[in-house]
Amino acid sequence: MSRRDGAGVFAVALMAAPVVAGGLYSLAAAVGLAGAGANGLSAVRLVDVMRDSSTWRSIGWTFYTAGSATLLATAAALLASVQLQQSRVGRALAILPLAVPHVAAALAALLLLGQSGLLSRIAFAAGLIAQPSEFPVLVYDRPGASLIISFAWKEFPFLTLTALAVLQTAGSTLTEVARTHGADARAIFRRVTWPLLWRGLAPAVIAVFAFLIGQYEMAVLLAPSDPLPLSVLTYERVNDADLARRGEAYVLGLLALLLAAALVVVHERLREDDSGHVGAGGRNA
Amino acid sequence: MIARQTRSVRRLWAIAVAITPGVSACAAPSDRAESATGARSATEMAALPWDSVLVHARGTSVLWRMWRGDPAINAYVDGWVAPRLKSRFGITLQAVEGQGAELVNTLVTEREAGRGVGTASLMWINGETFAQLRRENLLAGPWSGRLPNAQYVDSGSAIIARDFEQDPAGFESPWGTVQFALIYDTVRTPSPPRTVKELATWIHAHPGRFTHDQAFGGVTFLKMLMYALGGGVEQFQGGFSEVKYIAGRDSVFGWIKRLSPDFWRGGETYPPDVAAMHRLLANGEIDFSMSLNQNEVVTKVRQGVLPTTARALLLRDGTIANAHYVGIPFNAPNVAGAMVAADFLLSPEAQFEKQRPEVWADGTVLNHVRVPGEWRAKFSSLAQDRYALSPDSLRRYARPEVAPMYHERMLADWRTMIRRATP
Repeated sequence: MSRRDGAGVFAVALMAAPVVAGGLYSLAAAVGLAGAGANGLSAVRLVDVMRDSSTWRSIGWTFYTAGSATLLATAAALLASVQLQQSRVGRALAILPLAVPHVAAALAALLLLGQSGLLSRIAFAAGLIAQPSEFPVLVYDRPGASLIISFAWKEFPFLTLTALAVLQTAGSTLTEVARTHGADARAIFRRVTWPLLWRGLAPAVIAVFAFLIGQYEMAVLLAPSDPLPLSVLTYERVNDADLARRGEAYVLGLLALLLAAALVVVHERLREDDSGHVGAGGRNA
Repeated sequence: MIARQTRSVRRLWAIAVAITPGVSACAAPSDRAESATGARSATEMAALPWDSVLVHARGTSVLWRMWRGDPAINAYVDGWVAPRLKSRFGITLQAVEGQGAELVNTLVTEREAGRGVGTASLMWINGETFAQLRRENLLAGPWSGRLPNAQYVDSGSAIIARDFEQDPAGFESPWGTVQFALIYDTVRTPSPPRTVKELATWIHAHPGRFTHDQAFGGVTFLKMLMYALGGGVEQFQGGFSEVKYIAGRDSVFGWIKRLSPDFWRGGETYPPDVAAMHRLLANGEIDFSMSLNQNEVVTKVRQGVLPTTARALLLRDGTIANAHYVGIPFNAPNVAGAMVAADFLLSPEAQFEKQRPEVWADGTVLNHVRVPGEWRAKFSSLAQDRYALSPDSLRRYARPEVAPMYHERMLADWRTMIRRATP
């Protein structure tokens, strides 16, 4: 093994160490060997979490909100990137939400979308509703409207930036080639722009989804009390009034880690398939 | 390429395995002897003449973990207490966030890390946090009886002498008292309900205008209902009883289930904490907020969070009053400094300042008769704030806390039986 190899492995190990250590500690805490309320090796926490329907409701709701927001943000980013390639002002505006901290965005959503929020007051002043309580319930709501909207709004700029970068680095030459070969705008989009965008954007989309699954600040401010987002449920458990239940937070943490790892595996498989096609003559392009 | 990757992966595993023993060593429950070092030094410190404690404390710094969620409390601690500790005792006070459940987790982690000395020297605690810290041997002591200003404490008061029925036993020093109150807007609700029964009628007549939060305040409200519906606090005193708890819980949950269709959002969701409750009240979405501090309405009106027409309200069935304390962790790096700080917090001067309505309006733990004459006059002359409740009615309706297990079980059962069971 060369020195360069060794340095690479060391650097990666350094990055992986916290995850490995955290995973091992969580494992110890999940089986009652570490953490507050630990009282000796037992599988009771694992069994309790797996059998608790609130765990699965929480995971389901978290996937639903994170997934909907990712879809929404991706669709918006695809549209925006194609439309905004030539507009510097448009690009600048599109990435503006990037500068807003998540917690500030969630508070803004609360003030804007609540039943006594700004939109409700405008609707009231405009005579659209007779009283604030007629305004649709958008915060602390089970459909998660404000959470999905805020998630999507916060992740949209990142995806747009990535999409624009993909188009800029790879798009122009191929588009030129296609055009000189006589392809029309629709054909160029379908056969050049779209496949490029999709392939270049996929890692970012997976990253956004994985990030949103674990997002806490926005979830705690906007989510309903039932079902609870996975991050909020985990926090509730780690601070449970019953010390013996705090270990359950680590089980939930490990579940979240597994879910994220599964996403990465799915993504890697998709990429492998994809590069196979390109290698076989670029069937998609 | 593949061969190289496999080798790299093996390498990673080798590194992972190499650090495993270290991690599992940390994870093993540490021996109690180690945790005794801090406790011993607290006991030793408590045995010294006060003058030498002062000498030990001079030139040191004290890290204080406390709830930092209220600007009024932060201003008192950072702007009034800290400079006086510095100029009089040479102690640098640094207050940082950390409360309740988190404190237990932090100390357990520090113990598992195997370091003899921790980070914080003082913690703001009470109730079930005190119970958990004691159960896990995470508190130093006894030391609090040693403080010179402890002589002024109103030790005859059931609210101060017992922390959720537990004997502080010198492991925590009282700091203040609070009492649960509802908060309402006198303009919007000119004739509010005065009893639990009237409250039920009011909720039914005003659908969507009442709720409680999911955190500490909400559980305290549920326990108050348990006293009121279950025949008084006396029924639940004398330690936790499963039978009495189940009966009490069932009557509370029956009350909630009957009325929750008329709660805010039909009882489908509950606000996360009192901050959200205040916001909903101020925005006119609900008509009652609540607080575990009868004077919170005073500070929140001053901060502009609540309208000037907001007032506190005590239900005549009785409202829960409790005391809050400061404790020293088993691994405190600076026991002497923490003791001097705790003693200063107990001084008539600091207690008086804290109780002033324009400061924090937190109730004193001192006995007005025991304090030196000049302070006796000052305490009784404390101008009654027009937003505040009278001390007489506070005393009349005050009910003590019961064993912490009632709190733990009520919270856990509410989460599974009410919060999740709503359609």
